[in-house]
Amino acid sequence: MKIKILTVFTLAIALFLSACGKSDADLAKAVNDKLAAEKITGVTAVVKDGVATLTGEVGDITVKNKAEASVKSVEGIKSVTNNLTMKPLPVATPSAPDPALTAKLDDALKAAGCTGAAVAVSNGKVTVTGEVPAAKFTTCIQTIQQAGITGIDNQLKKGK
Amino acid sequence: MSAQEKYQSLLELANQNGTTYELSEGQNGTLVVTGVAPTEEAKTQLWDEYERLDPEFRSNDLILNISVGQPGGSGTTYTVVSGDSLSKIGKHYGIAWKSIWDANRDILSDPDKIYPGQELKIPV
Repeated sequence: MKIKILTVFTLAIALFLSACGKSDADLAKAVNDKLAAEKITGVTAVVKDGVATLTGEVGDITVKNKAEASVKSVEGIKSVTNNLTMKPLPVATPSAPDPALTAKLDDALKAAGCTGAAVAVSNGKVTVTGEVPAAKFTTCIQTIQQAGITGIDNQLKKGK
Repeated sequence: MSAQEKYQSLLELANQNGTTYELSEGQNGTLVVTGVAPTEEAKTQLWDEYERLDPEFRSNDLILNISVGQPGGSGTTYTVVSGDSLSKIGKHYGIAWKSIWDANRDILSDPDKIYPGQELKIPV
């Protein structure tokens, strides 16, 4: 009888341990495999007590989010500490000097039927004033933002 | 909150709908997104999301410069040969000469002066 109880007890312990899951080393491997499969690079993952900590520098916030979601989906990972940072962005350069940009914007706005809008360009930054019909508003803003500008001050009014 | 955080759903959407983009930083921390959407519809989706996040585009913290076309499109350039004019090239593609002029302002200084060997972007 005693032996039986001992056997049951041992089995229960064994079951409990296996349910507890993989070791941190196994999890770390699974995490890195997952990141590699998702083609996410530049991420270092450390796993301790089932908690994954991500460090490194990635291209933009979508990669940061994707890395976190991918690691969370690995079986056995309890939580993810996301310490990834984003690479500093390159400085945007205006597509043309101010007078050329002004001419380009004037032409583009005219072509888009945004005759009520006026632009002033200073070092690639565009201040938009005037009023356009509400139905044209988004088109006019699109037209301006697509001209290769590096800053905007949108004071354009929505008319009727 | 950084502009990337604010507009992350917009960038996620771009990844999903096949828009390729590059990020840069404009004036006063403005996020500049320059990209190419596969279709007009994909571009509209991005602008709708932009408008949802920033009604009337008043925050001045994002510049969304998205054009529509094949990313790195090989069929969208034309090499000028002797005897060409913008209107002749335009007629060939069924577009106005002025739209070619507008797309190539960076390399052309006069719509009447194009030279053999020049590579023109064709906005089709």
